[in-house]
Amino acid sequence: MTFVYALALAVGLLTLAPYLAHHLRRRRAEERAFAPAHLVRPAPPRARSRSKLEDRALFATRAVAVVGLALLGASPLVRCSRLSLSRSSGASVAMAIVLDDSMSMRVRLGRSTRFDRARAGAFELLSSTREGDAVAVVLAGSPPRVALAATADLGAARAVVESVTQSDRGTDLDGALATARALLAEMPQVDKRIVVLSDLADGHPDAPPLGKDSDLPVWIPLPELREATTDCGILQADRAGDHLRVRVACGGKVAAASESAKEAGSRSREVAVLSGEKVLAHAPIALGGGSEDVALSLSEDDGKATEFAPLFARLTPGDAIEADDVAPVVAEASPGSVAVIADAADESTVTGGGPIVEQALRALALEVTLRPLPAVPDRVEDLSPLLGAIIDDPPGFTPEQRRALSAFVEGGGSLLLALGPRAASAPLGASLEPILPHVVTWEPTASQGVDPKTAAPSLVESAMSGVDLDAKKRAVLAPEDRGTFEALLAWSDGAPFVARRRLGRGEAWIVTLPLGADASDLPLRPLFLALLDAWTAEARTRVAPRRTPAGVAWTFPDARAVLVTGPRGDVPVLREGGPPRAVPGILGTYRITVDDKKEQRFVAPLEAEMNLTPRAVAETAVWQGAGDSRPAVDMSPWLAFSLLGLMLLELGLRLRARSRESIA
Amino acid sequence: MRLRARLVAEGVYAGSHRSARRGAGVEFGGHRAYTPGDDLRWLDRRSLLLHDRLLVRQFETETDRALRLVVDATASMGYRGAGAPGAKLAWSALVAAALARLAVGNGDPVGLTYIGGGSEPRGVAVAGGREVFERVLGSLEAVTAGGDARADVAVLERGLGAIARSARRGSIVVVLSDLLDLPEGAEERVAALASRGRILVVVQVLDPDEVDLPFGGTVRLRALEGGVVVETDAETARASYLGRLASLTASWEGVLTTRGARFVRAVTRDDPVQIVREIVRAAR
Repeated sequence: MTFVYALALAVGLLTLAPYLAHHLRRRRAEERAFAPAHLVRPAPPRARSRSKLEDRALFATRAVAVVGLALLGASPLVRCSRLSLSRSSGASVAMAIVLDDSMSMRVRLGRSTRFDRARAGAFELLSSTREGDAVAVVLAGSPPRVALAATADLGAARAVVESVTQSDRGTDLDGALATARALLAEMPQVDKRIVVLSDLADGHPDAPPLGKDSDLPVWIPLPELREATTDCGILQADRAGDHLRVRVACGGKVAAASESAKEAGSRSREVAVLSGEKVLAHAPIALGGGSEDVALSLSEDDGKATEFAPLFARLTPGDAIEADDVAPVVAEASPGSVAVIADAADESTVTGGGPIVEQALRALALEVTLRPLPAVPDRVEDLSPLLGAIIDDPPGFTPEQRRALSAFVEGGGSLLLALGPRAASAPLGASLEPILPHVVTWEPTASQGVDPKTAAPSLVESAMSGVDLDAKKRAVLAPEDRGTFEALLAWSDGAPFVARRRLGRGEAWIVTLPLGADASDLPLRPLFLALLDAWTAEARTRVAPRRTPAGVAWTFPDARAVLVTGPRGDVPVLREGGPPRAVPGILGTYRITVDDKKEQRFVAPLEAEMNLTPRAVAETAVWQGAGDSRPAVDMSPWLAFSLLGLMLLELGLRLRARSRESIA
Repeated sequence: MRLRARLVAEGVYAGSHRSARRGAGVEFGGHRAYTPGDDLRWLDRRSLLLHDRLLVRQFETETDRALRLVVDATASMGYRGAGAPGAKLAWSALVAAALARLAVGNGDPVGLTYIGGGSEPRGVAVAGGREVFERVLGSLEAVTAGGDARADVAVLERGLGAIARSARRGSIVVVLSDLLDLPEGAEERVAALASRGRILVVVQVLDPDEVDLPFGGTVRLRALEGGVVVETDAETARASYLGRLASLTASWEGVLTTRGARFVRAVTRDDPVQIVREIVRAAR
């Protein structure tokens, strides 16, 4: 024990002095004999209680004064953990604060969360800035966003930090650092630095240490944010009839997760499906690294009773992040379903399997679910869950089919219509409306292939393979219809080979050859696969999958009015520089109204965000290595002023007590 | 005490001198049947002539004017306030000695008993002559305050029982007590001494502190008997205390007056001569 420690302890003991003095003064009244004491009525000792009140005020004042004195004496020896921006040369500083607002920052840290501590750290940093400094704020939730471009307006910086809220996005630290560097590059200050307020849990714990080889100094303070822990959550919960499939993921290394599993073993962790507060089904889960599918089934009665009711999957008991322990159950959710309507009987004789278009889509592995249909559905309800529909050489559409297709496409669906001999010989009463209002003819063609020069960007790489398609006949559009289509690829004689037409918020593509192998060699050419790929990609942009990760933008091409309502209220819809889009940042269910058409979408967590293992930090990025950033705060002036105030307060109390005594 | 008692007694003589002894006068006390050996002077000849029966007239003399002193020597009587010349017990002993001196000077017998008292004080049996005064003085000088009349209800019986049984008609009983810590029903018990033709004078002896409650601020008061401890603000409690004391005194005075006894209130700062004079006057 050094002399300084002994001295500090001695000063600390002085804080007991007012307490002891107070008790000495508050000793009991002196007892005296008095024969008729039983005739004396016990009365509230008025004078004593008055003095007791005064004593307490004095006692409190003196105790605080002694504590203040002790702190004042110890302040040169105390290092406060408050973040501050120090400057070695006294020059102005340009600082970019990278604030992580990803889901992993929801981990509890005492009474608050990691995000709250990070934001408090940002405020502490801003309070140590001064005139001439420049501050930029970058949010590290994926995708990285510039919350505030570099500015000398420190009030604006405080307002921005105040307005930043927690989200459930993924983490993109490298992107955020690159953005911060770009913001600071334009600043005139010589002293530039990037401060990262993050838990560094971006799902890539084995990535290179953060801040290594950075051209600008990177300071990563607040090590308490990076305490390793584990988290499990529900990635998705799907319902098909009475069967449910819940995908649960646990982040962190397997070893860490195993420890967590041991710890949680006694707590019997399980997944439950609820309707309101009623548990409909539950199943235990075995925790480990990675994800795991849990299958549950509803009873027949529960299945019927909850057919249209919202269900939730819940992981119990809760863990580090509570937000990802509950997820809405999505009915029939999938990355995207494409209906294929082709003559399977006819083509199976050629391929020995399903229709060629089905096999091609499977070969492309486009992460779409194929739903072969025997005929075009009559009801729009059957089409609305679909991403799009591929119809191969239909013999026209009935009025009911036309109405359903029209509503589907105008509501944002995509259609790929291959025209062939059956389309050209539609029976009476059937037509290809609303795609083609006029009659299509099936005519011999002199042109054997496409002109690659006419190919749209999405088809240009494969267009050469369509130069020779060995087609004897082709579909020819009526002149009135031809003008309504935009050619994406043309025959060598200029007739449209692939064309598209917008209908409402959706789009219809036509191909003037059927997709079977009898009419041409198209299915044998790479152009065929490119065509399917391009159409699928376009369809995806028009109909977003019902479940997306937080931070992924939803776009609404050609929509006039868009309203997105999420768990925290309306989500702003951005319209500048493209179609309307909204970026949901919070997990949960969203109600979307697009041109009076309503739908539901869901935002699910990223598995990477459940991996709370922090990324390594470069040695130069911790504050000791950063050199000029010292977390010391001089509180002496405030303490001195406080002591002066306390002294005046005590004088006032003494004068008051004296005046009372004189009155008494 | 001997000297002071004599001075007090002489002061009383200088004021009003009246002996309790009335000489040889007789009062008719009734008839009874004649038995052989009776003095024939008291044979009632008128009854013999009227009723033809031999009856003897009986007379009661007034020669038994014995003074019976009862001094309260319980713990509360040992109290002496800051402004008092002595403890209540000492002051009571002085008054008792002066009364004994007066009685002895008149040729009346004197007895002394105690209520309570430390180490079992010995009283003085009723007797006449100058030597009894010495015995009374010796006893009063030896007595110390002690005992708790609230805890030991029999202490009152021990002090008064003998007097109630043996004191004859015409006896004067003087009780010197603060009347503060006597047990429940003490008023009736003491007042009963006034029956059977006895003269009872109860002197309440209080300390000036007990009359004025002169304390200030917060005080913690411990009763000398009963173990009561009271913490109070003296200024606040004074009026209430004086009221309760007056109520207690009035209660005693009311009970005693109803039974034909006399009540005298004394404070130890008072002149003992005046108090003795009041007692003598009350005992007439």
